[in-house]
Amino acid sequence: MDKMMFLLSEGVKNLWRHKLTAFTAIFSTFLTLSVAGSLMIVGQNTNKVIEYLRGKYKIEVFFNENVPDKQIATVVEEFNKINGVRSTTLISRSDAGKIFKSQFGENILDIVGYNPLPVSCVVNVVTFQNDKMNVMPIVERIKSFPEVDEVLYQGRLIYRIETYYQKFVQVMTALLILVLVITVLIISNTVRLTIFAKHELIQALQLIGATRSFVKAPFVIEGVLHGLIGATLAAILLIAGVEVGSDLLYSVSKFKIQYSPFVLFGILSSLSIVISFLGSSRAISRFLK
Amino acid sequence: MIRLDNASYTYAKGSGVSNVNITFGDDEFAFIIGPTGSGKTTLLRMIYMDLMPQVGKVVVDKYDSSKIKPRKIPYLRRKIGMVFQNYHLLEDRNLFDNIALSLHVIGFSTNEIIDRVTESLEEVGLGGKEDRYPEELSGGEQQRACVARALVKEPDIILADEPTGNLDPVTSFELIKLFEEVNREGTAVIMASHDYNLIKGRGHRIVEIQDGTVRQS
Repeated sequence: MDKMMFLLSEGVKNLWRHKLTAFTAIFSTFLTLSVAGSLMIVGQNTNKVIEYLRGKYKIEVFFNENVPDKQIATVVEEFNKINGVRSTTLISRSDAGKIFKSQFGENILDIVGYNPLPVSCVVNVVTFQNDKMNVMPIVERIKSFPEVDEVLYQGRLIYRIETYYQKFVQVMTALLILVLVITVLIISNTVRLTIFAKHELIQALQLIGATRSFVKAPFVIEGVLHGLIGATLAAILLIAGVEVGSDLLYSVSKFKIQYSPFVLFGILSSLSIVISFLGSSRAISRFLK
Repeated sequence: MIRLDNASYTYAKGSGVSNVNITFGDDEFAFIIGPTGSGKTTLLRMIYMDLMPQVGKVVVDKYDSSKIKPRKIPYLRRKIGMVFQNYHLLEDRNLFDNIALSLHVIGFSTNEIIDRVTESLEEVGLGGKEDRYPEELSGGEQQRACVARALVKEPDIILADEPTGNLDPVTSFELIKLFEEVNREGTAVIMASHDYNLIKGRGHRIVEIQDGTVRQS
């Protein structure tokens, strides 16, 4: 227990002893985690936008004339079982007539003397999906029913939105990985600088019988503290930035930035612990080889 | 017991030691004497297994250089107290913390560390200077601090590599007297020096080393 306390206090004291390298590491971590955090917030809010857009995707299905209503109801139930379908809305002839009246202000019966509008169904697709959504399999499956006369959907628009979304996700992921790798390298190199400056301590520790883990522990603890402090500062900056930005954005576009301060801080601090642990372990292990 | 069997080590740029066969007893006091570059430090480094013999072996207590795993070497070093010419005290911590470090490594409790460090500093005549930093101490005091650091863990062996190299003659003699006291309490002391005048006539074994080859007297 005393040994653990000693290693922990050495890690904390090292922050003060190595002020310049500590500042460099904390500042670098703060910058990179701020970028990583911003990317995460942007990514999360893009998800909300894409979910909103997907909520607007609809496939309109028109049934052949003379298909009994009961049979149509059965077919619509089959539509609900198709993978990727969120819900369906059956529009009977009379419903179609009401829609016509609400859109054109006139009763179709008064114009043509009978209701020529077919029975139709609106198929809504799922909104939550991480990768690119392809509505074609759904459309093909719907078309395979003999009761179906025509299927209308915004194929080109959906394809464009989904393609851009896919590219955006790929770029964001690549950027995030790049930022994290850079952070690991920065922390690793900063700890290496500290280690070079402290080679006398390491030598002394080795000569008095310190095990590898005993030599490593204070440097790793120091590295993790750099990461945690950097993450806390990054979280404070992002939370303040998002709060201000969200209010401004809401006043202009009624769009509120979606995020949770606790989740953001949790993710950034966990991320910083992992990357600073990796970075500092890598540096000290290379030195002790 | 320390035994070197036909131990040889040659550096990439040449020199080192060759075919060393020598044994030191458990409570022996021995001087290793030889000019600068003769191989004294190499010999000591092989004993604390900082260098592994390329030929032959070194056996210290139960630790055999030909069989030891790297992770076991720290445990050998805990039985050895080392004193160097250049002190190797850490400038960023006070005397107490410098000496306590040896005990933290082994895992002593805080109370034991306080007792032992205080006792050890008293033993080398540095009582009351716990809070001083190395730069605030004279060369002789720094070297005594090194001895305190070596003694605090009650080692079986003291290895001293030119410990008087930076000290004046009076302080050097005082240091040797201190080692003799430690030796009387049952700790083996092996001290390397190039100064024959300092060690002659003290009644201890003298091992002479010249160009990496050992001659005993």
